[in-house]
Amino acid sequence: MNLSIRGFLKAAALFALAACALAPAASLAQAATDTDQWIHIRVTSKDAKGEVVRINVPIEMAAKVLPAVNKDRLHDGKVRIDSAHMEDVDLHAILDAVRTAKDGEYVTVQSNENNVRVSKSNGVLYINVTDKEHAKKGAKGSEAAESKVEIKVPMKVVDALFSAGKDELDLVAALHALSAHGDTELITVKDAENDIHIWIDSKNAAE
Amino acid sequence: MLVLAKVALGLGATLAMTTAYVFHEGVIRVDVDEHHQGGSHVHFWVPATTVSAGMRLARLAPQHPLEQAAEQAKPYLPVLRTMAKELQKYPNAEFIDVTDEEQHVHIATMNGKLRIDVLGEDETVHVQVPVETLMDVADQLEDAGQNARAEDWHARHAKHSVAFASE
Repeated sequence: MNLSIRGFLKAAALFALAACALAPAASLAQAATDTDQWIHIRVTSKDAKGEVVRINVPIEMAAKVLPAVNKDRLHDGKVRIDSAHMEDVDLHAILDAVRTAKDGEYVTVQSNENNVRVSKSNGVLYINVTDKEHAKKGAKGSEAAESKVEIKVPMKVVDALFSAGKDELDLVAALHALSAHGDTELITVKDAENDIHIWIDSKNAAE
Repeated sequence: MLVLAKVALGLGATLAMTTAYVFHEGVIRVDVDEHHQGGSHVHFWVPATTVSAGMRLARLAPQHPLEQAAEQAKPYLPVLRTMAKELQKYPNAEFIDVTDEEQHVHIATMNGKLRIDVLGEDETVHVQVPVETLMDVADQLEDAGQNARAEDWHARHAKHSVAFASE
């Protein structure tokens, strides 16, 4: 073989090797983001500063990282509940009652201060709270707005959350249950100061 | 002439391979600009491989700086390691975006690199680190921590043996 061709082939082989070494490994991991569920938190402040906080976390990542955090009440992905604050309320018994009960409205409170509504429909627990007192206080000032909280939690997630035992909440199990549930709205809070929105979908960026 | 060509080819190939190795993990980039009179402007980039290599060298230092650092970072190492491992699965994603009147903070991954951007009225900071490097740093700190604990155990064991023998 001609020497110049051999040299060229050597150089080409070396550059091919170099190109392989330089190629990022990112393409191997690319597929992971396509089907994963993400938990999104968006907080929009209504004040003049106009703060906006957007947090997007893959549920799988949260489920893996949480057990690595051991601080205060959080350990192994579980949060210890102080039973002294439960005031002899058996949460598991209440949950069991809610789980086995038929769909419907369980709690409805309508007063001058608050409206509270707790209901269950198609395996999803809904909690709606409207704070009218907040609106009254606001009326004296410049803004008058009711404070509204809407919570929507699949019962499977609630079950998973309380699966650890009497005095613990299993956050990792709840995250796994959430991820299996698919796209869903979780919490919406609207008041005079902030809008808070927490939801789950398969997009890796907030809206 | 032919010998010279061969030497040149050899040198070129070595250079190409060295460059490929040095840059295979990517580049760590830091840009800091302070927007005021006399404010500092720091701009540098280093191949991420030098961090790994530097940490390996640090383990040979007599004062064991890496073992000390590992001991201090011990409570956070599991989180760092898990986070770095998980971040590898999300090479292009936005994680945190905070905007207010004075600042805009953005944390994301882009092409397998963790990017932290802080755009403020007073200063601008851009940091870019390959996720692979974070993983490497966490691994090396964990190894150094384990070594330190093993050495400590051996030292205590040896002291006990001496005490037992003298009795």
